[in-house]
Amino acid sequence: MKKITSLLVLFILSMVLMACTASINSSEGTTTDEDNSNESDSDGEVTLNYWYWADNSEYSQLMQDIITEFNETNDKGITVVGEEYPWDGGGYSDTLFTAAMGGGGPDVAAFKLTATPLFTANNLLVNLDQFINDWEDKDDIEENLYDVMRDASGTDSIYVMPWNTQILYVYYRPSIFEEAGIEVPTTYEEFLKAVEKTTMDTDGDGTTDIYGFGMRGATGGHEPWGSFIYARGGNFEDLSSEEAKQGMQDFVDLYSGGFVPPTATTDGFNEIIANFKSGRTAMTIHHTGSAAEMIETFGEDVSAFPFPGGEGQWTSMGDTNNVIFESTEHKEAAFEWVSYLATGKGQEDWNVATGNVPVSKTVQELDFFQDDDFMRVSIESMPYAGIVPIKDTTTEWINVAWPNTISSALLGDQSVEEAMDSLQKALNEK
Amino acid sequence: MIRKKFNIWPYLLIAPALLIVTFVVFLPVIEAIFMSFQQYDLRRPDQIAYIGFMNFAEMFSDPVFWQALKNTVIWVVFGVGLQFVFGFLLALLLNQQFKGRGVVRAVSLIPWATPGVLIGLMWKWIYDGSYGVLNDLLMKLGLIDQPIIFLSQTSTAFGSVIVTIIWQGIPFFAIMILAGLQAISTEMYEAADIDGATRLQKLWRITIPSLKNVIFITILLRVIWVANSVDIIHNMTGGGPSYSTQTLSVYIFNKATVLDLGYSSSMALFLMLMLAIVAIPYLRNSFKER
Repeated sequence: MKKITSLLVLFILSMVLMACTASINSSEGTTTDEDNSNESDSDGEVTLNYWYWADNSEYSQLMQDIITEFNETNDKGITVVGEEYPWDGGGYSDTLFTAAMGGGGPDVAAFKLTATPLFTANNLLVNLDQFINDWEDKDDIEENLYDVMRDASGTDSIYVMPWNTQILYVYYRPSIFEEAGIEVPTTYEEFLKAVEKTTMDTDGDGTTDIYGFGMRGATGGHEPWGSFIYARGGNFEDLSSEEAKQGMQDFVDLYSGGFVPPTATTDGFNEIIANFKSGRTAMTIHHTGSAAEMIETFGEDVSAFPFPGGEGQWTSMGDTNNVIFESTEHKEAAFEWVSYLATGKGQEDWNVATGNVPVSKTVQELDFFQDDDFMRVSIESMPYAGIVPIKDTTTEWINVAWPNTISSALLGDQSVEEAMDSLQKALNEK
Repeated sequence: MIRKKFNIWPYLLIAPALLIVTFVVFLPVIEAIFMSFQQYDLRRPDQIAYIGFMNFAEMFSDPVFWQALKNTVIWVVFGVGLQFVFGFLLALLLNQQFKGRGVVRAVSLIPWATPGVLIGLMWKWIYDGSYGVLNDLLMKLGLIDQPIIFLSQTSTAFGSVIVTIIWQGIPFFAIMILAGLQAISTEMYEAADIDGATRLQKLWRITIPSLKNVIFITILLRVIWVANSVDIIHNMTGGGPSYSTQTLSVYIFNKATVLDLGYSSSMALFLMLMLAIVAIPYLRNSFKER
């Protein structure tokens, strides 16, 4: 018993000692913070914590280089500390949300528009209206991009600062077009004909060797699909309209007609790219992110054209932006940093190196972008590029409702009417 | 009568473990139970409120839920059932004396040691309708003329993912049963030999009864794991095409990832109760035996 008592006393004493040490450390920490804060106020020194993701190690280094250059060149005493987090198939946004809600989020972060409603509903983001109105480079960014940012928030305000975009266009193989005896389509009807004509049995064994179009039926396929809907005069706001249903009918007809690979119901990004690169498809839809590997595979036998218009015209715009968090004490400094990435040297450096489409008109005019066919097609498509309406239903619609409903329609388990009514309900009526 | 003196020491020693289990296991479960009675959708944080049994009512009127439930039953019955059959056969084989037995035992463990995400990706490409090695093999053997789009049509997708989970789970059954087989006394078989028992009689009268507990606990564990598994289906089909491979756990995962935590919690609670119905009789039985 004596032994136990002395052990307990020892345990309690050690806990008290630890508590005291923690308290001293904590008070030391507070003093340091206060000192820093005072120093910061007097010297104008500001440190910003910035979260971003990078698709590969080269982009990681690139971002660190941009940060270093900004830190060295800005004359406002701003030091950005970049922290990289994995994109993790969109898990980045969840991590960011959890951190911000828990009080451990950054001052500024790279951001996808689809996450906007979640963050604004929880009052996490700074309203940028006043900052942008007072900003000298305001007009260097297309007005429609600001509109997209406003739409994303579901308000008349801008909470997200544009940074770079990826705009979908059609990749095609000129040699297959030549073999099929067709020109690059300029209208939607011509495009549908081109898909049919480039579907070929090249060895005469009675089976299709080249499919006209690499259709994406798995998650993410809603983006190219949207171009079909708009080309018939439909839109995302009313997917049960006759026009939208006609666009869907075209999509289904391509599948049932055998003009797309039979695996299209579950083909995702990897499959459509593999099918195009292996010569199994004559056309597919993606953005500049895959241009380098296409050129590496085909050399000059690959080119691009904007998705042609019919009754309407639309293509999907991928986005990467930046946001400033309400919790930051340095909003002015944070805007300096996001504007550097939007129109400053950071904009040019990032987009030149990554091949993304710049949002700054000045940067778009650089020879680097104008001399690149894929980039030029992207910039040409920018006036009618858009995004799927961002609602609280959008993520589920994209990841669950759309792929399952589309595969049902393609496989004939549901009629076009049923599928479109179901998609309308899942996106707009929940 | 000597009264036993109360000793606090064991409780102090066990307290840290209990605290960890409470915070890591019990509190989240209790939280999930509370959430299942709330409209807890983080996409609409201003609408979070207690709604009684509304989530459960919505669940029972949701056709996707019923399809997922049906799929879960098929997934577990065929997945675990065939894992057991093939695992049992593999265990009997590995219990025999033959050259290179150690290597075969080690190699047969590979599917179990491979992460589920990797298995999903690997089998997705094996089944691929354009480049898959399975189609290539079947065509070269002259069994088919055209590639089969295993994962891209509702008629073959679910069967294909079930084959994958069977492939993954066979080694677990084999190892557990093999351990059980090695614990059976050889004297019993010798006695049976003297009595003139056939091989089949020895299997039915000695081997299987001796393995009863091992088989029971292994099946129970696998039923729980397979019913809860998400990784393979998620990576192979995401639950599609046309919800044909969506099990309850995949549906819960899909709902939870879009932050509809109330609805996904109610389904998770339902799945937990379903699994409890399977597990409780066993646990009661094993406590009784002690």
